[in-house]
Amino acid sequence: MTPRARRLLELLPLAVVVGASAVGAALASEPAGRLEPARAWCSPSSARPLGCGEAGVDLTSLVATAELRAVALAVVVALVGFVVGTPLGAAAALARGRLERAVERACDLVQAFPSFILALAVLSAVRAPSRVHLGAVFALTAWAPFARLALAQTRVLREAAFVEAAVALGRGRAGVLARHVVPNLLGVVAVQLGSTGAAIVVSEAALAFVGLGPRDGVSLGGVLDQGVAAMLRAPHVLVVGALAVFATSAAMLVAGRAAERRAR
Amino acid sequence: MRRAGADAARIARALLARATESLLVVVALASLVFFALRLLPGDPARLVLGDEAGPAELARVRAALHLDEPLLTQYARFLRGLATFDLGDSFRRPGVHAMARVGDALIPTSELAAVAVALGAAAGVTAAVAASGPWLPLRARAWVERVLVGLAAAPLVAFAPVVTWALAARARLVPLPGDPDSGAAGLVFASALLAIPLAAHVGRIARAALAEVARAPFLSVASAKGAAPWRVWLVHALPTVVGPIVTVVATQLGALLGGAVVLERMFERWGLGTLILEAYAARDLPVLEGAVVAAGLLFVGAQALGSAAHAAIDPRARAGR
Repeated sequence: MTPRARRLLELLPLAVVVGASAVGAALASEPAGRLEPARAWCSPSSARPLGCGEAGVDLTSLVATAELRAVALAVVVALVGFVVGTPLGAAAALARGRLERAVERACDLVQAFPSFILALAVLSAVRAPSRVHLGAVFALTAWAPFARLALAQTRVLREAAFVEAAVALGRGRAGVLARHVVPNLLGVVAVQLGSTGAAIVVSEAALAFVGLGPRDGVSLGGVLDQGVAAMLRAPHVLVVGALAVFATSAAMLVAGRAAERRAR
Repeated sequence: MRRAGADAARIARALLARATESLLVVVALASLVFFALRLLPGDPARLVLGDEAGPAELARVRAALHLDEPLLTQYARFLRGLATFDLGDSFRRPGVHAMARVGDALIPTSELAAVAVALGAAAGVTAAVAASGPWLPLRARAWVERVLVGLAAAPLVAFAPVVTWALAARARLVPLPGDPDSGAAGLVFASALLAIPLAAHVGRIARAALAEVARAPFLSVASAKGAAPWRVWLVHALPTVVGPIVTVVATQLGALLGGAVVLERMFERWGLGTLILEAYAARDLPVLEGAVVAAGLLFVGAQALGSAAHAAIDPRARAGR
């Protein structure tokens, strides 16, 4: 298989998830989250392929919209983490010494930190968290893995002959960083885009599951919460919610590998 | 003699640095909660009372929570409260110390996390040894690795409800969520769910570390002296990979605490997560601040315990050598 075909294949799951969600959201005859108590917990049928949830909410349009929003949030936050973390880690490794150690230690701490508790703590300051709030909270910790990877990779690169040559030719530190180091890190760091994106999809669902979701209830975590409440009466809700979270996060992970190959 | 003195000084310095860092983590988390509530747009008193509150009520709440003082005075009071474990009374239940409620909730969550770490480490190490030793055919060993990779990426919030539905609602093997009489079975089942991602991470790291020592001469010597394979792997090889295992458990602790919140909510178990969510819903600021700080303490405490265990088992980890 050619590398190009392989890359396309790896982007396929994400394209399928996004495409299916877009079709589901576009075909919906009513806005996501509309309630119709008469059809509460109805089973999947040809009119409503995924069935209904609490108070008769149509799961097809709800899951499709929630998936699109989760993917958008994950992509934005992962890119912010990538743009902030990569130069930070590379600059720290080039500077060596105290700064390098400080950034490394900070990354270790942030990565091991109970980020879910951190999100709960910060989100408690707002009445109902919006997606902007969620994005800001996730961005607080999203930069760390990118910085950690960039730091480790720059340690190797800074000994490379072409970097030494650039320094000897009188390029400033910023120039070496931008022209010679960062372009060579992208391949290694880019795979983290997928892992971070998947982690954000899951965190968003987990926060909504425990009750810190958007007020309109359009979130995969909200579907799971309904599913647990109606486990005995309407198990399809639970299965639909879990499959949606699983498919979206797995698609993000696989797409991250395509980003890695592309940057190489 | 001088050598021993230098060693002791180095250990003391390392311990001090470690304790300072742990303290910094807790204070940073606490400060973040404190300032998020007070500096982000929106009035905390209005958050507590809702939009319909009159000015007299708002003033009463501000006075009770000391929100009318200058920010630095409030911060100093908050830090003093942390140091003395006294953040004032629960706002929603006057007369009950916020810290008393937190202490009450800390025990079940610690139990849940401790059982999950024990189960996860045991299962992960078992899988790693099975995939390293000569017991399984090569293909089965490769499958063990593949399963570990898949499980490590599986999101708890998606699979825990489905497994619970299959085992509790369909097969009736375990108690249903929210069953008040679930007792020990409920604890073990919730911990086992929480342990699955941890076991997968431990298994992967331990497998990689065992593969590195697999060809080491000391293992050939042990085999040549007639030790059985289980003895070679468990007694000789395993202690040398305790370091990476402890490290991976420590890096997963944060995720484990987050998972504990999700599972406590799902199973309606009393604990720190339930308390944080309850205090969040009721805007009980002293309890919320105390509970978040307690979660931070649990986290750094478990990390310190981990590195102590590492030093006790692996002599190379002692004194920072």
